[in-house]
Order: sequence, then C-alpha cells, then structure tokens
Amino acid sequence: MSELDRLLEGAIALDKWPLARLVRLFEDPRPAAVPEKAAAIAGLEARGAAPRAMVAGYTGTPGSGKSTLVGQLAARLISRDPAATVAVLAIDPSSHRSGGSILGDRTRVHFPIGERRLYFRSQASDRELGGMGRATYPVVRLLERLFAYVFVETVGIGQSEVEIERLADRVYLVLQPLGGDQVQFMKAGIMEVPHAFILNKSDVGAAARRSYHALRASIDFARPGEASPPPIFRTSALSGDGLDDVLEDLIAHRSTHDAEARRARDCYFFEKWVRDEYGRFGLDLLEQQGGADALLAASGSFEAAQAAYRAPVAPPAP
Amino acid sequence: MSSPNDPGPAAPERLPHRLYDADGNPTVDRPWIFRTYAGHSSAAASNALYRKNLAAGQTGLSVAFDLPTQTGYSSDHPLALPEVGKVGVPINTIEDMHQLFEGIPLAEMNTSMTINATAMWLLALYIGVARERGEDVRRLQGTTQNDIIKEYLARGTYIFPPEASLRLIAEMYEYCLDNLPKWNASNICSYHLQEAGATPAQELAFALANAIGVLDTIRERGAVSPERFPEVVGRISFFVNSGIRFIEEMCKMRAFVELWDEITRDRYGVQDPKQRLFRYGVQVNSLGLTEQQPENNAWRILIEALGVTLSRKARCRALQLPAWNEALSLPRPWDQQWSLRLQQILAYETDLLEYPDIFDGSVVIQSKVDELKRQAREEIARIEAMGGIRAAVESGYLKSQLVRSMSERVSRINSGELVIVGVNRWTDGLPSPLLTGEDGGIFKVDEAETRRTLEALAAVRAKRDPARVAAALAALEDAARSGKNMMEPSIECALARVTTGEWADTLRRVFGEYRPPTGVEGQRLYVDNERVAEVRRRAEEFVRRTGHRPRIVVGKPGLDGHSNGAEVVAVAARHCGFDVVYSGIRLTPEEIVQSAIEEAADVIGLSILSGSHLELTRQVIEGLRAAGAGDSIPVIVGGIIPKADHEALRALGARQVFTPADFDLADVMSRIMDVVEAQAGVSAR
Repeated sequence: MSELDRLLEGAIALDKWPLARLVRLFEDPRPAAVPEKAAAIAGLEARGAAPRAMVAGYTGTPGSGKSTLVGQLAARLISRDPAATVAVLAIDPSSHRSGGSILGDRTRVHFPIGERRLYFRSQASDRELGGMGRATYPVVRLLERLFAYVFVETVGIGQSEVEIERLADRVYLVLQPLGGDQVQFMKAGIMEVPHAFILNKSDVGAAARRSYHALRASIDFARPGEASPPPIFRTSALSGDGLDDVLEDLIAHRSTHDAEARRARDCYFFEKWVRDEYGRFGLDLLEQQGGADALLAASGSFEAAQAAYRAPVAPPAP
Repeated sequence: MSSPNDPGPAAPERLPHRLYDADGNPTVDRPWIFRTYAGHSSAAASNALYRKNLAAGQTGLSVAFDLPTQTGYSSDHPLALPEVGKVGVPINTIEDMHQLFEGIPLAEMNTSMTINATAMWLLALYIGVARERGEDVRRLQGTTQNDIIKEYLARGTYIFPPEASLRLIAEMYEYCLDNLPKWNASNICSYHLQEAGATPAQELAFALANAIGVLDTIRERGAVSPERFPEVVGRISFFVNSGIRFIEEMCKMRAFVELWDEITRDRYGVQDPKQRLFRYGVQVNSLGLTEQQPENNAWRILIEALGVTLSRKARCRALQLPAWNEALSLPRPWDQQWSLRLQQILAYETDLLEYPDIFDGSVVIQSKVDELKRQAREEIARIEAMGGIRAAVESGYLKSQLVRSMSERVSRINSGELVIVGVNRWTDGLPSPLLTGEDGGIFKVDEAETRRTLEALAAVRAKRDPARVAAALAALEDAARSGKNMMEPSIECALARVTTGEWADTLRRVFGEYRPPTGVEGQRLYVDNERVAEVRRRAEEFVRRTGHRPRIVVGKPGLDGHSNGAEVVAVAARHCGFDVVYSGIRLTPEEIVQSAIEEAADVIGLSILSGSHLELTRQVIEGLRAAGAGDSIPVIVGGIIPKADHEALRALGARQVFTPADFDLADVMSRIMDVVEAQAGVSAR
C-alpha cells in the first residue's frame, strides 16, 4: 500500500493523525501538490467516500462568542446523535506581516478526548479582515467526504458572506446583544445572506431581550416580504441554553448540495482560485481554455481541473 | 486644675525626626509581620516547617497550597496526581487542616493563605478546625487571598466564571463582618500584575479598579446595610509587589495610600480615617530573580525590601521575601531562613523604625507620586468607561495590556536597553559555591509524602458518615442555586469531612467552568534584529519546501497557571512566521496531544513551572505514540527546570529544554526552528 493509500484508509476510519496529514496536503497551495490532491480525491471516490456532508457556515463579528458556540454545538451534536460525525474548520483572521498567525479558536472549548466522530482544525485566513482562506474550499472538499457535518466558522465583516453562502448549505449569522441599537445590526449589510440568526450571550438579560426585538425589526426591514422570515435563536454558550434549538434547525434543514449545485459551487471556487492565483490574466486564459464549467466537466474533479488548467506562468522545465 | 491662662508644665519639645506616642513620649515603631511563603509535600511536613520557622522568629504564617488544592481537585484526581505537594501543601479534608496547624493555637496566630478560587472552602476548613478544637472563632486573624481578577489575568488558578467568583468573595466579606471581624476576606493583589508585566501605573490602576469592583459588588448585593458598609471598606486589604526600581516602587506605595484614601472617601463616603487606610502585605518581586549568578538575587531582595519599608506612611503591614534561588527551584528551609534574617536585620539592627516618614517634604518624591497618581487615574477612568473591572477582564482588555507590557519588557531585555546584571551584562562570573552542596542548591519533594497524603485521604473517605456528607453537599448545592450565603454550608461540609474535590465539583455543577481570553491575539513583539529576520527567512523557506507554514502547539499541561512564558513564546513564534495554536492553561496531556495531532503540528512547546516537568513530558510523548504519530511531532520543554533534569527530559524524548536563562527570544526561536527543520528533513541553513 502506498503512503497515500494508508492515509486515505486511516482518514476514512476517522483516525486523526492520517486525517490531519491529509488536511495538510489539501492546504498545500503549490502546483506540485495538485496531482496528489487529485489522486486523493480519486482514491476516496474509489473507496465510496463521496461528498455526503451538510456544510454549515457560522459567521459573525469577533466577540460574539462564535468559537465557543460552534465548539459546543459540535460536541452536543455528537453526544445527541451516536451516528453523527462532525468536522469543524475554524478560520482565524489574525495575520501578521511575518505571515504567522495565532490560531486561538481551540482556546474556547474542552473537546472530548479520543472521540473519533469530532475533528477540529484551525486554519489561518490569509486576509486581515477575516472570511475564508485560500485553503478553505479544498479542505472542505476533503472533509465533506469523511464526515456527516462540516462546520465552517469564519469571522465575517461584510465582504466574505457571499463566499460562505456559496460554500455552505445553511448559513448562521452569530450576533451578540448590542444594547438595542437597530442601526448596529444593519451596518455591515450582512442581513441578506443568513438562513438563520443566532443571538448569542442571551444570558445577559434585558439587553438581550431588547436586541432580539431590534434584530427582528432589522431583518423585516432588510428583507421585506419574505414568505418565511429567517428564525432568530437565542443562545447562551455559557449555560447551554438554546443550543438544542439551533441543532434542531440544522437537522431539519439537513441537505447536501446535489450534483448540479456542487458543480456550480466548484465553478465558483475554481474561478476564485484562478483569480486569487493568477489574477485577471488568469481568468482570460481560463476563458480561452473553455471556461471553468467545461474544464471541470472534462477533468472529473476540482483537483484534476486544477491540474489541467494551463496557468499563465509556465512551470519550470524539468 | 489649671486655668486657660496657665501655661502649665512646659510641653516637651517635639523634634521632627523623632517618633512620639499618644502621651508625647519618644517611641519607636513596631516591625511589620515577618512571614515566609511556605508549604510543601504534605500537611505533616509543612507543620514541621511552620513550627521551625516560628521558632526562628517568624511572626506570622503564609500558607502555600499545592495546585490541586488551589484549583479544587482532591489529590487522587488524575489531573492532580503529578502536582500533589509540589508548590505547596495538599489539603483534602479537615483532617489535613488539623495536621497542618497541630500545636499552633489558631486564635494566637496571624495566618495568610494564598488561596483564591477555593478560598471559601479553605476558610471553612480553618473555622472548622477552630470549632472542633474549641477555640474562639471570633478571634481568628489573617487573610485569604481570594482575588479572582488577577487569577484570570496572571496566576491562572480560577475555576468559576467571574459572576460566580465575585459572589463567593462578596459572601465571605458578608460572613466575616459578623463572624470573623479580624479576618481579611480577600486581598486585592497587584503582586501578580507586576509579575505579568504591569507598569507601576497599571499596577495601581488595575488593583484599585479591582477593589472598586469588589466593593461595588458587595454594595449592589445589599446584604450589608449602608451603615455598616464603611466597615467592609475598612476590611479591604492589598497584596503588592516590590520591584528593583525601588525609588519608583516606594513612590508607587505612597500613590496607593493617597489614591485609596481618596477613593474610600469620595466614592464610598467613608468618614473614619482608620477605615480608609491602605493596608497591605508584600512579597517582593520574583520575576526579576535570575537563574544566572543566582547569588546576586540576595542583593535584589534586600533592595526590593527597602522599597516597601523606607517610607513610614507607605510601609507594609506584612512582608514575605522570596529566596535567592527561586528561579532555580523551590527554596530549601535554609534558603528561607536566610531571607527571614534579612527582615530581622532590617527591623532590629538598623534604625529604620525610629523615624517618622523620611520623604515628607521631598519635592522630587511628591512630583513622582503625583505623576503616578495621574496616570493611574486615567487608566481607572478608562476601565470604568468600559463598564468596570469585570467587563475589562471579560473583553480581554486587561489581559492584552499585560501581555503587551510583558512583550515590551522582554524586548528591552533582549535589546540590552534594560540591564540585568549577570543576564545581559557582566555575564562571565565565577561558579557559585552556593550551588555546589550535596543537593545542588535545590529542593526536592519527597515522593513518599505524596503516598502519605493519598493514604490519609482514603482513610477519611472510609470512616466518615456518608449520609452526613451527602446532606452537607446537597445543602451546599441548594445554597449555591438559591443565592443563599454558602459559608455556613461550606463549614458543615468541612465538619462532615467532605473533600476539596467534592466541594469544588458541587459548585462546578452549579456555576460552570470559565476559560478567560488568552490575550495573545493581536499582540506583537518589539524585537526586530538580524537574527529574528533570519528565523523568519528560514520559516519562509520552510513554507516553500513543505507547502505549509511551520505550526507550533504551545501547551501548558497540568494545573500551573503561570502563563507568561507560554504567552511570550506564542507571540514570538508568530512574529517569526509560525502558525501558533495556543489553547491557554490547565490542559491535560491528552488535550495537548489531541490538539497537536488534529492540527498536524510541526512541534509542541510545553511550558511547565510546577516542577512536574518529567511526568507531564513523559505523558505527552507517550500520548503522541499511542495516537499513532510515533515521534513525528517533536516536543520541546520550557520552564523552571533544574539542570539535573535536562538529561532526563532528553532521555524521555524532549528535543530542547529551555529555562529562564534562555531569555533571548531570537535564540529560542532559532533553536525551535532547528528542531522543526530537522524533523521535516529540510534546512534553510
């Protein structure tokens, strides 16, 4: 058995060390890593590990208690449902001119020890303001073949919500009580995207009640005439109140991208990859090569399409 | 009788440099209370030590508890086992407490207990011992440290969230007011803030804002009537640090006295000047004590003691001095005696206690004091604007301020701007004969004592009345849930022979456990030199060769909460281009292993200051192997690690060992990079 085969078998059994090393492979941005990623996806397909996860996105401002909340939701989900498996991908916005970062999200929760069904991974976003990193989509493509749920946690400040909407089957916006100022909720223009809202830290009493009504009003204002307005959940990560309501919402809306939606998603992130790596000129080249859709269809997988894409800069001669 | 015109006998002339008593007779001051922070191994061993110290002329006790006792675990808990008796005495039940104070009349003693999250429990045990002995509980004198804010910020032995923790403190004040009138229910600590990097102005501001937070909490609860509230204000006492800049430290103490007088008068309307006194005890600074040329620390300790004794107006009530070898290991009894002798010489041989305040009228001193007061007032106003001390802790503001000050300090040592003799100047010294004794100048806990502690715990469990235990714990839980004062139920728990772990677990169930902000996010290091640039370059080369950024998991296993070292390394690693996973303190070795495995770390950095480095390092390395990672994630260890243990750690598999002597962060990061490169089989050198 090759090294890659051993990693794949281990990861399918949810053995953490091989799984973690596979994630490392999918985070590798170098062109040289593309063939091995493509081989890994093919190997997973061959072993019947097709995409099956519901991808849930949790976004919100720093300080909303999002990290603790997401960690606890994951831990609670696997304790409620003995068949559930959950991977959490926590994207940390902190960046530094050295390129290094502090990945602090693990701080917030004590996870059960030795539990195969729960995997937590931190990832540095390469952007100052949060949102997803370059490696987020590739890693989600791996994790969605191994787990029943993939939770992606990002810091959202307004620009990255579109990406999380493309990535996730259901998007939750986590907010903290704001002392009742309706305008605060409207500021970032992030009201349109989420499927549901979570008002966290609802243990703080009167401020939380006022915020709830202000948020309700803000949603009605930002999204007028919606047949079924998005729910607002009130939670307290400290006491655990309201977490079950969120999980029930999650389970009730459990869906996964169908084949067509998945191709649209691949298309979107393929173009994003080309743009991030090679800029406008790269996109022009992509058009000349028939466009993302055609390239993906011809190649069979996202990774294979990455391998097939003829990049603007020729690879060094062998 | 004399008429108003009769001058009477001429009043004796009063000289400004003399002290006079109430009757006008010349007098001298009584010295402060001499203490030594002590306790180790077991209740019996610590009792023997206390009796020896008292016989040597010590006038009060300062009890050091081990980490399990401080964090609410009985000695037989898996998290506790490696730490039993290491940094203090283990107390599991009232039987241990009886043993600890055997032959020491409680009503005659002034006992200070360094205990915080479990302070209510330890006070309940102390009261329980007094009751069972038939001593007068109202005469008990002393202090439970009981300051939770600095635990969140610096010391790390918190258990419960802020609201519940402040409630425990408030209830102790309310109970003591009626039942233990001479007891200081808590000690507002600025000591640990300085250890964590606070500047004098920050130390003043954070401590005073903390005291305001405690008093506001008690006032808002309304359990104490407004008429008696000034008594509560009068019971607030402080625990302060004294550093090497002793003039500034002395001014800081004068600023404390003046600011506290203002706050108690203006904010709380306290009329009686006695209730406005700034009463404080001191432990002089341990942060500045060096591992290199450790004999120099004796002079540092002396100078730091001067800072809190020279000015009569701002003189401490109690003083405890560290030992010269604290940066190497826990002190031996002889080391502690040497420090006690310093106090005795200062108080009895010199003329220090014969004068009124010798700085009154000094323009220089007053100007410095005024400047500190102004800076402190500004910072207090900022904290108040944020919603007070609790909000400033929960938002991470205070912690990030401290981590920043600490990074600045370390950066200044690294650049040589801050001179530390024997560390970054005059580093070549002759070998110290103090370290050449049979024991290498360090202290070792006798493992047999741990066994005795565990046997005693098992014996109590076997012979106590289970029905009384269950009833006592149920009553405690009921009080915790219903908002009743938990002090009496805790005393009943003590009498029923409930264990430390059972008491704390009951309250954990009700209040939950807290994890405060780590303060490392958004921090930067103020070191930029060629060598840092070189490590950064190597990190970039590592990214090119491996496709990922070097990733370090910084972990603090065990119960020790002194996180400064881990935080500085976390910030430095990011500064050098690492991705850093830092999960805060009090992790089990299993949790650290799990983090490192799941995150596919390139290296694990363990920080251990409790003396349990061998055991914890072994558990992490074995855990990695058990998880299938073999030896592919290298482990490095930092902390207060005696030379003799370095080889043992390497034999266990640790790839590098760092001690306080490794203050040069560029060098530390370079050595970590060596380990990471070697493991990945790449090198940029």
